[in-house]
Amino acid sequence: MRERVRALVRPPKDPVLAAAVALLVAALCFAAWGGWSWHAAADDGARAYGESRDRALSAAEQGVQNLNTLDHRNVAQGLSTWQRSTTGELRKQLADGRGEFEKQVKAAKTVTRAKVLSAALYELDERAGRAGAVVAVRTTVNAPKQKPTTKDTRMRCELTRTSGGWKLSALAQVPVGDSAGESEPGTSDQDQGKE
Amino acid sequence: MTTSTRDVDTSAERTAETDAAADADPAADVRRGQRPWLRGRLAARRTRRVMLAAALAVAVLAGGLMLFGAYRLTSADSARNHALTDREATEEVSGEVGDALAKVFSYTPDGVRTTELDARRLLRGEAATQYRRLYGQLRKRVTEQKLTLTTRVVHTGVVSLDDHRARLLVFLDQTSTRDGGQPSTAAAQLAVTAERRGGEWRIVRLAAR
Repeated sequence: MRERVRALVRPPKDPVLAAAVALLVAALCFAAWGGWSWHAAADDGARAYGESRDRALSAAEQGVQNLNTLDHRNVAQGLSTWQRSTTGELRKQLADGRGEFEKQVKAAKTVTRAKVLSAALYELDERAGRAGAVVAVRTTVNAPKQKPTTKDTRMRCELTRTSGGWKLSALAQVPVGDSAGESEPGTSDQDQGKE
Repeated sequence: MTTSTRDVDTSAERTAETDAAADADPAADVRRGQRPWLRGRLAARRTRRVMLAAALAVAVLAGGLMLFGAYRLTSADSARNHALTDREATEEVSGEVGDALAKVFSYTPDGVRTTELDARRLLRGEAATQYRRLYGQLRKRVTEQKLTLTTRVVHTGVVSLDDHRARLLVFLDQTSTRDGGQPSTAAAQLAVTAERRGGEWRIVRLAAR
């Protein structure tokens, strides 16, 4: 009887409890590892930069497509899309030429459609909110009583980050003989009569 | 050994087992209404076990969720693509691919062999097959008609980049002359896929854009 009482008074040598404590320690280690991984991933500057890059690139693709698309039956709406896709100097230039341009397109009765074939960012300054992209675009122009013409163009654009996301601040065709990075792209020529 | 002895042995063992079980599990005593003074201890132990189990579950769940979160963050396409995020690698692949394009798309009547050797070294897979077919037809004309082509990279953008594979958009200017005549320059846009083989970038696919 004395033996039994002593066994009960002593801290129980419970194998279940010991295993549970070991398991808990392991689980806490696991949680700590998870927390550390998560923190490291969330805090990774390269990851945030990569997300910025992808947003800027999709804005470049969408912007270039928008600015190479216009339907004479819907000029006002098309030009509003141009305005929404741009910012800064480019936006101002487009706004200034809007009235004249609207007249021209309505007179020519053209429908211009664009498809971005390929695009890539060549520079991204996340802090300054500026990016540069190269875009290969295919435009198809339909004019009355004429066969549709399709043209592949290479373009370079600059983007600026605004409160409404990345927007085009400069757009130009890359002419033959252009030197990388030496000339700033200006605004696009809608008729794309170069080349 | 007789059957009866075995029976006796077995029954003796069973009794011993029951005793041991009673010792190891005082709860059984309580259930049987014996040793009511143990009840408090047992309740405390039960609480401890429940808390332990809860802590265990919370820790495992939290760890799992955070690991999953980390996995989602690091496995996203934007995180796996090192274009521009790894500036050094981006410049390296741009440079190597640009140089390769300039070499394989430049030839002179006296240098057809050099161009061919460069192409054999720098192009692989589909790009190599495509190039051989094209250059095979062109080669004779280059020497006969004294054709010269000079290719210059105007712009390069890296679309995607990881340790082994890269996709680029390259703008090229190609200046050609025929037998010392007036040179003419044309613009070209290429979508290039490159793979890293033995530490160097090799072009595996080319498509006009």
